[in-house]
Amino acid sequence: MIKLRQIDAYRWEIPREGKMRTRGLIFCSKEMLPVLESDQSLQQVANVATLPGIVGPSLAMPDIHWGYGFAIGGVAAFDLEEGIVSPGGVGYDINCGVRLLRTRLSREHVAPLMKTLVDTLFTNIPSGVGSRRQDFKLTGSAFKKVLKDGCRWAVQEGFGEAGDLAHIEAGGAIAGADPEAVSDFALNRGKDQLGTLGSGNHFVEVGYVDEIYDAALAAQLGLFQDQVTAIVHTGSRGLGHQVCEDYIKVMLKASAKYGIELPDRQLCCAPLTSPEGQRYLAAMAGAANFAFANRQLITHWVRESFERVFQMGPRDLGLELVYDVCHNIAKIETHTVEGKSRKLCVHRKGATRAFPPHHPEVPEAYRETGQPVLIPGDMGRYSYVLVGTEKALTETFGSTCHGAGRLMSRHQAKKVARGRSIIQELAAQGIIVRGAGRGTIDEEISEAYKDVSGVVDVVHGAGIAKKVARLKPLGVIKG
Amino acid sequence: MIKKKPETSPRRRPYRQLPHTADLAWRLWGASLPELFENAGRALSATLTDRRYLRRRATREVNLTAIDREALLVDWLNHLLYLFDQDGFLGRDFQVESLTPERLEARVTGESFDPARHPSLTGVKAATFQQLSIVPVKDGW
Repeated sequence: MIKLRQIDAYRWEIPREGKMRTRGLIFCSKEMLPVLESDQSLQQVANVATLPGIVGPSLAMPDIHWGYGFAIGGVAAFDLEEGIVSPGGVGYDINCGVRLLRTRLSREHVAPLMKTLVDTLFTNIPSGVGSRRQDFKLTGSAFKKVLKDGCRWAVQEGFGEAGDLAHIEAGGAIAGADPEAVSDFALNRGKDQLGTLGSGNHFVEVGYVDEIYDAALAAQLGLFQDQVTAIVHTGSRGLGHQVCEDYIKVMLKASAKYGIELPDRQLCCAPLTSPEGQRYLAAMAGAANFAFANRQLITHWVRESFERVFQMGPRDLGLELVYDVCHNIAKIETHTVEGKSRKLCVHRKGATRAFPPHHPEVPEAYRETGQPVLIPGDMGRYSYVLVGTEKALTETFGSTCHGAGRLMSRHQAKKVARGRSIIQELAAQGIIVRGAGRGTIDEEISEAYKDVSGVVDVVHGAGIAKKVARLKPLGVIKG
Repeated sequence: MIKKKPETSPRRRPYRQLPHTADLAWRLWGASLPELFENAGRALSATLTDRRYLRRRATREVNLTAIDREALLVDWLNHLLYLFDQDGFLGRDFQVESLTPERLEARVTGESFDPARHPSLTGVKAATFQQLSIVPVKDGW
């Protein structure tokens, strides 16, 4: 049993003890504690605190749950000289992330055509288990450009506009990607998966602005009441999974080679200064850029689908990118620690960057608001738009939560859904859902997830992000 | 992610899903170790689609080496996922031709996944060592 000490209404501490080099700091409410204590995630927060070169506390967001080595919903920063990088601290789906698009359309305009829109999106965007594009196969030099340039490649190829790039974390391409660090196995898995949604919790959702919490911020983000929006949630597909797997093998050896003591072998890692560590970062950046390009291509087909269904041109539709954030990534960032500016490797696994107003990495358009943070919920409830804060920067290396987090296993969710038509139930609530298989839809029922509003209220209350608006779904395509 | 946890159970099912909140876990059984590996392959195909709809159209030979039999089992499943992502190949029948604690040779017969004929069930990112153990039981592994 992990010892917990309450600091305030939203903060709990795992005191430093044993081999821990620092304390654990968990953001959650009292009501969430039983769920957090029901799995191994708190132990995982304590385990991460034992890793060499960790700076500040081992952090956990309110949507934390049990993951591979590192908990999902965890943030950990490491010193570039003394610290480590770990594939388990990023996760299997490298740069799984979310982007939000706004439109000029109002909810009542789209309602009569919603079914057609969902069907068109479903036809244009391959989704589900084993989804691949027949029309689009990546080969040699183009593939390398995708890994190096991410969204820049996609925009050059005509998938989107130059303006999109300014509204993506890291400009849609993480520096330092090296295609040579990505194995042929990984390339083969990804070669016809660019522009596909995949399965699991990935989706494209058309929704509307249901509630605004801060009118000034919402206006600056270009959001208005009842406005139609679109969310794309997917990652690096098989390519990213293979990069993770390849480097877990490398890191198992590296941990032994560099004498890193691990409380759990899934935390396998290498010093940031080592060739193994550098090579993982280069491969991870490549996979992250593949994921950025993936979301960019899907965005292109979302735009095409809207244009066809509503018979409107791009200017009238105004399908502009609000922002695109990574949920699973390790980034080299500069942070102020105890008054000193230091370069750190920040692992965010199931966590979102949340930089404040005036931060140099926040694009011009959001200088006064702070970086937009997108928190998807489940397909039956709602998603949130927030912005980053100064408090997040000083307390969590500029990080906040990423989603709702599962409450039920897929197995349990299917049992609960048995004998019900989830599609009809959602339709009765005004939400049209299409999925590649009934299985995924059943697995992804609302009840299987925690209510994302609880998670968002904690980060808002703790001040590590600020609520701007809530979005409700109208139509969803699921993998 | 999938995990496997073979244990004694009153009924001998070749594979059985175990509850796990965010991931998927399987309990696998085989009268012999080769059969355990074959059943692991079947469990994976059955997670992704309905295995009964897969026809025996193509064959893939798999040769793998690993440090121990647990690592070999994880590699085996990940290799099957690789074949699936690479060109959609999913196995219906799995035949282990030779197995030592460090080496696996197997033949897989199946076909490419076709969304028109094959239901899309649960996507699998990777197989991991999470709670993995391969242990002898009264009537097998």
